[in-house]
Amino acid sequence: MHTLEPELRTLHADGLIDDATASRALARDRGKVFSLHLELRATMYAGVLLVMAGVGTILARNLDRIGPLAIVLAIALAAGACAVAAVRAKLAGRALSVAGEYLLLLAVLLASADLAYAERQFTLLGPLWSWHLLLLAVVHGAIAYAFASPLVLAASLTALAGWFGVGGSLGDVLHFGYSTPELGGRALACAASIAAWRYADRRARPETRFSEVFDHFAANLAFWGAIAWCMEWPWLAAGLPLLAALAWASIRRGLDTGREAFLVYGTVYAAIGTCVVVEPRIHGATASLAFVLLIVCAAAAALWQLRRRLREPGP
Amino acid sequence: MSRWRPSPDEERWLEVAARLGAVARDALAQRTGGWRSTGPLARIALFVLGLVAAGLVLGILDFGVPVLGPGATALLAGLIAAAAAEWLAVGKRLHASGIEEGLCVAGFLLIGAWIVTVIEPQDYMTARAATLVMIAAALAAGLRLLNPFVTACAMVAFVNWVDTTAIARTLDQGIGGGVTALTFGLALAALALALGAREYRRPSHDRMLDWLVVTLPIAAYEQHATWSLSPVVSDPIGSATGRPATTAMLLVLGVALLVVGLRRRRHAPLLGFMACVACLAVELRFATTLATETWLILYGLAALVAGVALDRYLRRPRNGLTSAALETREGPLDLLQTAGAALLAQRTSPGPPSAEPAVTPGEGRFGGGGASGRY
Repeated sequence: MHTLEPELRTLHADGLIDDATASRALARDRGKVFSLHLELRATMYAGVLLVMAGVGTILARNLDRIGPLAIVLAIALAAGACAVAAVRAKLAGRALSVAGEYLLLLAVLLASADLAYAERQFTLLGPLWSWHLLLLAVVHGAIAYAFASPLVLAASLTALAGWFGVGGSLGDVLHFGYSTPELGGRALACAASIAAWRYADRRARPETRFSEVFDHFAANLAFWGAIAWCMEWPWLAAGLPLLAALAWASIRRGLDTGREAFLVYGTVYAAIGTCVVVEPRIHGATASLAFVLLIVCAAAAALWQLRRRLREPGP
Repeated sequence: MSRWRPSPDEERWLEVAARLGAVARDALAQRTGGWRSTGPLARIALFVLGLVAAGLVLGILDFGVPVLGPGATALLAGLIAAAAAEWLAVGKRLHASGIEEGLCVAGFLLIGAWIVTVIEPQDYMTARAATLVMIAAALAAGLRLLNPFVTACAMVAFVNWVDTTAIARTLDQGIGGGVTALTFGLALAALALALGAREYRRPSHDRMLDWLVVTLPIAAYEQHATWSLSPVVSDPIGSATGRPATTAMLLVLGVALLVVGLRRRRHAPLLGFMACVACLAVELRFATTLATETWLILYGLAALVAGVALDRYLRRPRNGLTSAALETREGPLDLLQTAGAALLAQRTSPGPPSAEPAVTPGEGRFGGGGASGRY
């Protein structure tokens, strides 16, 4: 164990932190206030993950034994049951608790899985199946607004990205080699849509909690799209300036809002993009590796310096 | 005051600066002895960049100076990376900044790799000695940097190494596959928990113990679970004694972690307790004949019920305990939560029907360039 009480008291005595900050920091240091928020989130996430894995296995294995209609109805019922806590909180005028929000996420995910299963079994929309993703994006978005849930909004934005044909997993994002200009265009269109949605949301509800979720989705999709454009001529002519502009905007946003993640996006994506553009044009493995090393060192130095300038908010 | 690393007092002030954020930042900068650190996300990114840079140095030497041979290339690349890390730490006074940590870890591991090429492992014994050299290199880097993540990784690797020793194999014949390594790992976790009761001047020492408390139960149990799942292992005697012993050890450590976590008001023992519960759940799965989907849903529901109950119970603070967040700053966990929700949503959304239409703008599917998109 360690305690920072002497240091906090010194700062308070020197007048460097006010009474409120000192008392908050001391209470937390002594354990007089202790939050189990982290543990609760981990437990709820594990619960949602396990249930969804189990439901996925049921859908994959027990089709013939149970029958498609029974499965669809059972999962719809389960989704409804999971949403009860959120509905009750809303009717009572309370904000969603951590557990309530994760249960709502589970309800939304069960509904998604149910819809996916129903579509595969009954081919409701036939060749227009991908419009289910847009439908999900809209429905999840409406639920996110109804219950003020950033987690459900993340599910909605993922469905929207899917409708645009852009994979949302980390693996897809990291596989720049599989990216094409067409895919990049779709990622940029999706990022622009999300940015527009964010702008409208911010104007309509200045106290919104959704801006951060919008920002992360829009930034990652936009960078991904710009880098995909950087891979082929003549798209490169647009992709490179766009990448530079996005990196500048991301870093600017990080510095203005005190959010470290946007400094990381700006520097790391810019470094990846530069390597993607220049590296294929260098002959010889040693020269290529030396160039990439140079970029990595420059990115690390830039990130370090930018992080030093960041004025993050207090606890 | 040390040139090589922050003194305990300086490290404590760095910790205070990290906790308070921008509050009193300039005043705190004077008390940290010129040592500088960075935020968690930048630290992770810089750590990765440091590892990549060291790998690139290795590649440049390998392609650029092929006459060196693999051993000398690894040694030279390792020395360059380690020297760069020392220059950043001593010359630029960086501590827990990521970049010097990535370089140092990679440098030490490359030097370890050179020692391995000198040993020239040709049989099982020398191969195990070579593994121990790499573990020692990682541990040395972790201790040099006072880095809990690297230290914990080295200890986890050491527990895995213990499982490969002849003594462990002999003992496992009688008590069950992987039980020796499990016992060793859980004993180390219990020791770390006990040592955590002492008051440490350096926050990093405390954090190293915290990481051991959280990671060792899972790492140790993973060995045992791997043995249990192995189709080639037929161990009726070991299973008969090993399973109850495993359950009992996990139960005892789990209860101890819960009690200590609540008493000390520390996250690490509570997370360690959760790890023990997860291990017990898997152990229970081995002991029953439940279908996979049934136990997944049952355990998931149990976790959800526990979470809801805890949330309701702590909605109003009780004895200082609360379920509300105390931080308003966005941290790595918030980002992880959003990414986790997106990942789950991606895996449950509709995929293409059997006869797939061509992808056109506005008619895309998950996975972009070629992934199936099926849940």
